[in-house]
Amino acid sequence: MATEKTDVVIVGVGAAGGILAAELGKAGMKVIGLERGPRLATKDFSPQDELRYFQRQDLRPDPKRQPITWRPNANGRANPIPTQSYGNQAGGGTVHYGAVSWRFHEDDFRVRSQTIERYGVSAIPADSSVTDWPLSYAELEPYYDRAEYELGVSGKAGNLQGRKIEDGNVFEAPRRRDYPLPPLQVDQVGANFDAAAKKLGYHPFSTPRAILSQPYNGRPACSYCGFCQGFGCHIGAKSSILVTKLPDADATGNFKLITGAMCYRVNSDNSGRVTGVSYYGPDGSADNTIEAEIVIVAPFIYDAVRLMLLSKTEKFSNGLANSSGQLGKHIMSHLSVRAFAAFDDRHVNIYMGPSAQKHTIDDFNADNFDHSGLGFIRGAQISAGPPGIEGGPIAATMTMNPPPGVPRWGEKYRDFLAKYYTRHMAMTAQTENLPYADQMIDLDPNVRDKFGLPAPRMTYDWRRPNEVARVEFVHRKLEELGQAMGATQVWRAPPSPGSPISHHQGGTRMGSDPTTSVVNRYGQSWDIPNLFIIGSSTFPTSAGFNPTLTIQALAYMTADAIVTRYKKNPGALL
Amino acid sequence: MSKHDEARRAFLIGAAVGAGAVAGAGLVPEAVAQTHEQHQAKDSPATTAQSHAQGSGHGAFLNDDDAATVAAFAERLMPGAPGKPGAREAGVLNYIDLALSGAYEDLQDFYRRGLASLDTHCRKTYNAPFVKLDAARQDEVIMALEQNKATEFTWPSAPAFFNTMRTHTMEGLFADPIYGGNKDFAGWRLVGFPGAHPAFAPADMQSKEAFAGGALIGLQAQAPTRRT
Repeated sequence: MATEKTDVVIVGVGAAGGILAAELGKAGMKVIGLERGPRLATKDFSPQDELRYFQRQDLRPDPKRQPITWRPNANGRANPIPTQSYGNQAGGGTVHYGAVSWRFHEDDFRVRSQTIERYGVSAIPADSSVTDWPLSYAELEPYYDRAEYELGVSGKAGNLQGRKIEDGNVFEAPRRRDYPLPPLQVDQVGANFDAAAKKLGYHPFSTPRAILSQPYNGRPACSYCGFCQGFGCHIGAKSSILVTKLPDADATGNFKLITGAMCYRVNSDNSGRVTGVSYYGPDGSADNTIEAEIVIVAPFIYDAVRLMLLSKTEKFSNGLANSSGQLGKHIMSHLSVRAFAAFDDRHVNIYMGPSAQKHTIDDFNADNFDHSGLGFIRGAQISAGPPGIEGGPIAATMTMNPPPGVPRWGEKYRDFLAKYYTRHMAMTAQTENLPYADQMIDLDPNVRDKFGLPAPRMTYDWRRPNEVARVEFVHRKLEELGQAMGATQVWRAPPSPGSPISHHQGGTRMGSDPTTSVVNRYGQSWDIPNLFIIGSSTFPTSAGFNPTLTIQALAYMTADAIVTRYKKNPGALL
Repeated sequence: MSKHDEARRAFLIGAAVGAGAVAGAGLVPEAVAQTHEQHQAKDSPATTAQSHAQGSGHGAFLNDDDAATVAAFAERLMPGAPGKPGAREAGVLNYIDLALSGAYEDLQDFYRRGLASLDTHCRKTYNAPFVKLDAARQDEVIMALEQNKATEFTWPSAPAFFNTMRTHTMEGLFADPIYGGNKDFAGWRLVGFPGAHPAFAPADMQSKEAFAGGALIGLQAQAPTRRT
């Protein structure tokens, strides 16, 4: 039986865990990180191998061995979902992500108050659990700034201490200083999108991305090969945790990473504290234990919730950190609304340039526009890129339905691809999803993973009236943009059948009241002060923006609180 | 130095970003490379795909009858025409055969049973196996599968078999040639994808024209001729 002792154990060394490992290690704390996948390096990433990385999902969990099941409602069995869009190695999802790095808007942190102030309480759907965050944008701003500078984000400020700047995002919350790196080069997708958006009176800009537009911290600038989302960067220009915070953590001399280690239980005693974790080793052995003063749980939301449920004891019979009964509830996922444009008079060469959400308009996101009379609240980030968020031909055939009148196979389809593969693009509305208590994760009674653990089961259907109305609204905006580009054809992708798409959030929501939330603003369990849960599982609402930079800012904030306060005086931070 | 080595060397030298691209190229085991065949003259001895297509010799998994059916089915999904390479020319059969003996081993029975149901459907409906039907009839059959009108299927269902065949055909056409399809970059030539270019210049991204910046590049080799 292998038992180790340490100050801090971190389960999952991804967007949040990597930052915590480095920051706590720097403060002299002994840190062990558990990672169920391998630790890869830049030299491992074969460039542009679409089959391996996009189609066969090499950097994602294997749905057959680590199933997540889904059902639209509580009646009936759930089935495994075919693809999972999160990470399965050290660095987590930041290894394969598109690196889109947003700060949330000020009103994203106070959705309930903002909605009531502007539209009245009746505008909030009665069955939604929309709430305010227990912290404001201003309180998180220093940590956003730190994440942008330590990791390396390219973009242009649109709101510098209240001064609005054209070609940046004029809807963004005020920032203390500009991005550390200028925006990435524009490609034809961005150029077409910008021209159309300006024609319509909107405010397009280059999406901020954690991809280097210039050499930074010893890493090279992006080479615009075009394969970001789904791929590891073959030159290390993507600011993933793998090439930023893990080397930092190593340099402290206080960090040890154990790969191939699948945590299956957080151990606790009857005093109401957690004592460490147990995990399966790479050889399948189950009797591996780490004893720690602090346990930080930082995997993707499925495993965060599942681990709390699996760790129940006589004292914590409802699962760990669950005296509120809110564990596993209020799950959200971005709704992906897409339309396509094809051109006869120009090439777009979709395979060039960083691939994810290249350019953006924020005019219809958050509460940036007047929702009076629209029948819904909140919005979507509207952007342009390849249909599959990477521009290779396999993704085009798998993620783009052909326009009306063209079947999915045969001569006509071949001719469609032959003519339009280099002359098409997609517009996407990454749409906010309100929280609903009955959108939830629990343990599947029928399906087990390769370790014999019950699979996380998601009960979820985004097709609520508020969401359906918003999806239709933004779909029309996408078509309008396509028409304004002068596209020969503009057509829609069909909406998903209620299933979750990507960027899952919630399940261990943070709040200011221990009876209605799982953790406080620091991700610290209300019930167990030496247990922290960090990641998008703590988000009370979802925003229309990608979650990663906010996950990272929260990780910095928690690291700061542990180092400056908890370390001297272990206990509740609030 | 063989032709293959020359092409590989040219790629390595030409790879603008150096170490990353080189490491990536080196990742692929030489043993599975089919680029050796790829650079042989058109009339050189048969590759696995050609063996199947000509009905002589086994591949890695499919028997001769199943191989002929898969090749014919894939060809209707992405048919070739002069100047427009299709599934047969791209070696989609070879891709699927190799995948079923490796990465998609768990789909062997899916294929066996799906192909058996397809055969039953064709014999019942047209009194002939799929490969003996003319193109129009073959399209009718595929449409029946897609629309779940072929009642002879149980598991896999007809739409599931159709969707898998479609997915694997696209993979065989468009995946890098190291996986056994996309022969001579046929799929990439069809749609104008230049392949695994490790870098694009600002001028490339500002152009509204088709990319004319060089040869097609695979993970191990460049195309023998410049793209037209």
